[in-house]
Amino acid sequence: MKNKYLDPNYYYNRELSWISFNKRVLLEARDKQNLLFERLKFLSITSSNLDEFFMVRVASLKDMVNADYTKKDIAGLTPKQQLEEINKVTHELVNLQYSTYNRSLYPMLLQQGLQIIAKHEELTKEQAEYVDRYFEEAVYPVLTPMAVDSSRPFPLIRNKTLNIGALIRNRHKEKNELEFATVQVPNVLPRVVKLPGKEGMTTVIFLEEVIERNIGKLFLSYDIVSTYPFRIMRNADLTIEEDEAEDLLKEIEKQIKKRQWGQVIRLEVEAGIDKKLLGVLKEDLQVEESDIYYIDGPLDLTVMMKVYGMEGFENLREPKHEPAQVPELPEGCNVFEQIQKSDIIMHHPYQSFQPVVEFIRQASRDPQVLAIKQTLYRVSGNSPIIAALATAAENGKQVTVLVELKARFDEENNIVWARKLEQAGCHVIYGLVGLKTHSKITLVVRKEEDGIRRYVHLGTGNYNDATAKLYTDVGLFTCKESFGEDATAVFNMLSGYSEPLSWNKLAVAPLWLKDKFLYWIEREKEQALNKKPARIIAKMNSLCDRDIIAALYEASAAGVEIELIIRGICCLKTGIPGISENIKVRSIVGRFLEHSRIFYFENGGREEIYCGSSDWMPRNLERRVEIVFPIEDERLKKKIYHILEGELRDTIKASIMTLEGTYEKIDRRGKEAYSSQEVFTKEAKQEINKIKEGVDNRVFIPAKHLED
Amino acid sequence: MKVRLFAAIDIGSFELSCKIFEFTSKNGMKEIENLRYRLDLGGESFANGKISGEKVDELCHTLLSFRKIMELYQVEAYKAYGTSAIRETQNRMILLDQIEQRTGIKIEVISNSEQRFLNYKAIASRGEEFNKIIEKGTAILDIGGGSIQLSLFDKDTLVATQNLKIGVFRLEEQIRHLAGNNVRYEELLDEYISSQLSVFKKLYLKDRIIENIIVVDDYVSSIMQKFEKEGAGTAHLTYDEFVKFLGGEKNFHLQEQAKRFGISEDNMAHTFVSSVIIKRCMKTLGADHIWSPGVVLCDGIGYEYGEKKGLLTEIHDFRQDIIACAHNISKRYQGNKKRSETLESIALTIFDSMKKIHGLGKRERLLLQLATILHDCGKYISMVNLGECSYNIILYTEIIGISHIEREIVANVVKFNHEEFTYFDILTRNSLLEKNNYMVIAKLTAILKLANALDRSQKQKFKDIKVALKEHILSISVVTDEDITLEQGLLRERADFFEEVYSIKPVIKQKKSMII
Repeated sequence: MKNKYLDPNYYYNRELSWISFNKRVLLEARDKQNLLFERLKFLSITSSNLDEFFMVRVASLKDMVNADYTKKDIAGLTPKQQLEEINKVTHELVNLQYSTYNRSLYPMLLQQGLQIIAKHEELTKEQAEYVDRYFEEAVYPVLTPMAVDSSRPFPLIRNKTLNIGALIRNRHKEKNELEFATVQVPNVLPRVVKLPGKEGMTTVIFLEEVIERNIGKLFLSYDIVSTYPFRIMRNADLTIEEDEAEDLLKEIEKQIKKRQWGQVIRLEVEAGIDKKLLGVLKEDLQVEESDIYYIDGPLDLTVMMKVYGMEGFENLREPKHEPAQVPELPEGCNVFEQIQKSDIIMHHPYQSFQPVVEFIRQASRDPQVLAIKQTLYRVSGNSPIIAALATAAENGKQVTVLVELKARFDEENNIVWARKLEQAGCHVIYGLVGLKTHSKITLVVRKEEDGIRRYVHLGTGNYNDATAKLYTDVGLFTCKESFGEDATAVFNMLSGYSEPLSWNKLAVAPLWLKDKFLYWIEREKEQALNKKPARIIAKMNSLCDRDIIAALYEASAAGVEIELIIRGICCLKTGIPGISENIKVRSIVGRFLEHSRIFYFENGGREEIYCGSSDWMPRNLERRVEIVFPIEDERLKKKIYHILEGELRDTIKASIMTLEGTYEKIDRRGKEAYSSQEVFTKEAKQEINKIKEGVDNRVFIPAKHLED
Repeated sequence: MKVRLFAAIDIGSFELSCKIFEFTSKNGMKEIENLRYRLDLGGESFANGKISGEKVDELCHTLLSFRKIMELYQVEAYKAYGTSAIRETQNRMILLDQIEQRTGIKIEVISNSEQRFLNYKAIASRGEEFNKIIEKGTAILDIGGGSIQLSLFDKDTLVATQNLKIGVFRLEEQIRHLAGNNVRYEELLDEYISSQLSVFKKLYLKDRIIENIIVVDDYVSSIMQKFEKEGAGTAHLTYDEFVKFLGGEKNFHLQEQAKRFGISEDNMAHTFVSSVIIKRCMKTLGADHIWSPGVVLCDGIGYEYGEKKGLLTEIHDFRQDIIACAHNISKRYQGNKKRSETLESIALTIFDSMKKIHGLGKRERLLLQLATILHDCGKYISMVNLGECSYNIILYTEIIGISHIEREIVANVVKFNHEEFTYFDILTRNSLLEKNNYMVIAKLTAILKLANALDRSQKQKFKDIKVALKEHILSISVVTDEDITLEQGLLRERADFFEEVYSIKPVIKQKKSMII
């Protein structure tokens, strides 16, 4: 081994670190300081997080084990060892999820006037009649019950769907044989069914209970012996053989269909399930005992998001977040003129994402605009950006859109609007073979009076107006030539038109970025060795690249002070004597999903700040197209530094990594209560209000048309 | 203010490139886009004179993407030039037609000398920096895949230029056979280059002192530019600095260097060869300063367009470079300078007075001028076969800035000045000349023959003439006290061809000077 910093003992396993992140989210669901419905939401998030984790991470570890692959991970664990560990902690996590639900949330909901009827047996007569009528009118027509016997094979149980399994017995047959039957709880109907109830009390029941109660109506000449809900998770990691895939689009469509058939890697059943029924499931789905989760409560807690969205209960939810206007980009302004004045930084969701939409919308109609080029990774349904791009193409602009079809679980969605764009006349590029395009960049080329001018937007978040209200991200508008040239080169590279020669400002993965990061970290080490100011503050979603971590250890050992703000996975260990004593890791989990990636290097006093789309993960640095861009303007640098500063001050939503690798909330004794997300929200509002108040009141402002 | 956009496309032997230029009165010429796509056309073309279907597909595909960018900027015009790889294909007409049908892009094939001249223009487009450098003795070293072009400046005019077959790829190919072990690789390369360069030195350098060398290549100069852009100040280097920049004299590690420069190892290998050429050139010529202006052919194509459309302020008189080169060739073959000057003066005066009749332009005037300068170069070899020998010398001597066809025109004009004119069918049997070229030859020959007749005695009696065209008579007035019987006699004979071409009869009118 080339250096001591690569010792596996100095690293945490990434899966376990991820579970520990999900636990931090779960802690938010347990935090009494959060409003009750917000807690439900956090609970729901832990559940959907865990689903994705299983489908992707656990699945691929299973694949490795099946293939007898024994290569050890960064922390020196084989796939088999990892699975064992994961199994242990996920069972614990699930137990904690349900104890949170059953012991805290459920009673509190009842107290607040929301009754969730857990068992249909608990229905009042009146409610039972209502439920039966609802079943007959709305549910029965969409159900497809399936029974298994020697002539009918075990049916396809779809990934992630909720099902009801039943053991039934034919009344007319001589032999008293038990048969297995199953019916899927339909996705087309709401899972939460509202019932008539007592005054001042909202009563609901889940759809599966409605079906269970009426299951006899599905198997008319049978006796129902037992019914229990179950849910499976299949291996769904989408690995496409790109060399063989002639047409990527078709290939992905094919894969989506195939995804329903993957190996079953998790079976959730209600605790207390009939042993015989379980036996059938176990055998036919080929699940091992360790992959079975006995659930004490409703299966699939993502349903809590639906409960969160129920009418009423306003006092139990945070008021809807209204992003503040960006002072430099007031409503109705000409975005291009504003960018010409100076570079503009936006901090979402504290500040509105609308200017970005407006940027593309104005470009689509501006007669001077020649072209719009954009990378799209995950886009909202009914996206105004897509609409604007289509308009631009119809208006004769050259529109180039790089659509990343490989964005996990969004493929289906992506294909639909990619086709839409193509029909409008856009040039759609479907990703690059072997690489995911994760960078977020938009280029608008405009032919102005004094020549061609290029406007660039660079961001840390996706061009998704919906998530921009929930994710914390940073965006930069600039029309500096150096950025324009680089942006042009990025698109020429992505469209295969040209090889880039060199970059003025941007650092681009997979070819150049990792070396840049290593260089910046190493430079900080040199500064520390020369007794110059040396400090790194890096904020990202995940840190698990071995080379980067080793470089950070080396820098720490040389005396560089390193502050890491990492929401999710962190394979780095803090406090190892002589290795990482100067490194602190904190994680902020709050109302908004921390998503921006910001990198600060003190560099002996000549500070440098970069923002970008890339985490410090091998997949970001080696298998994705990522862009990291410098913030150069002193005024803007201050703004970005303020973000880092605020998050380092956070005492409410921040947890600190302990020497054991667990995370603990900050001991607030003697410290102010400081929630960075709240402070940023307030500051963004203040900033715009200050400007609005300063406006001369004698000037009448014409009303602007409302956003459509 | 009007913004004008132009696209320059270079179909190189190993790379396709396209640049979009913006012309404004405020900023002059500005590069907006720079597209590069690696495609090895040369390998096939040089080896078997053909380019495979696959490569043609890839070429067309790339041209279509260039076209897309051209459409984006709504360029008002474009020029697409093919260089040696296209030049050396046997089925070039078919190939070019096919490409045009498939992509709508018309590729024109340019000769080596035109290509180098464009590179030279690109360098000169750097303006001030260039003018300052050529105040001192300077050589331009233009390194290509197959050959290099070495051009010398004397007091801000280009005086000599020579093509040497020691391009990067050719060298790699040849030395690879010789160099069994890598240790001797650089030595062998250097020795090989050195032997070629010393011939050049003997022929051209004479007593000129060369202090600066300007490098144009795809490798070393792009790295120098890259570091320059990052603020390392590497566009100008002394010999020692240059050696250091490349990582020292002896310790050359391909991998390390490639990483340091951020380029592929393949690319680094080419860079290495290129750097050996540069070092050897500097040593041989005794230059201690290297400048890499970081220009490529596309810059020259853009500059040429701007120049033609009057979008740029003139920074250098390129025509003078061509003429200076011709003078140098004439000098080498001991041409009669005085006679050339007389011929030039007479021929150009006639040319200018007949603009409406011949309908030729500035470019043809330049060719006529070259023909007068080179009119007697063949006599160095044989006084009897003056025409044929001159023709061959001109055909095989590179004159920077003019195309192969133009050179052939000049060679023919000079030849027919001495010999009977050969008509179209026979003349074009073994050449690329087309009808319009043929007409230029005929028209220029007629003028040169006439001018030659007027100076038959070679005593420069007709040095100052006045020419007037009136209907079908071209009256040539000359003020001289000398006897012009010889000229008048010859004129009758020579005028036949002139009349044949123009349907105009030349007549001499003598005025005696006042001094008796």
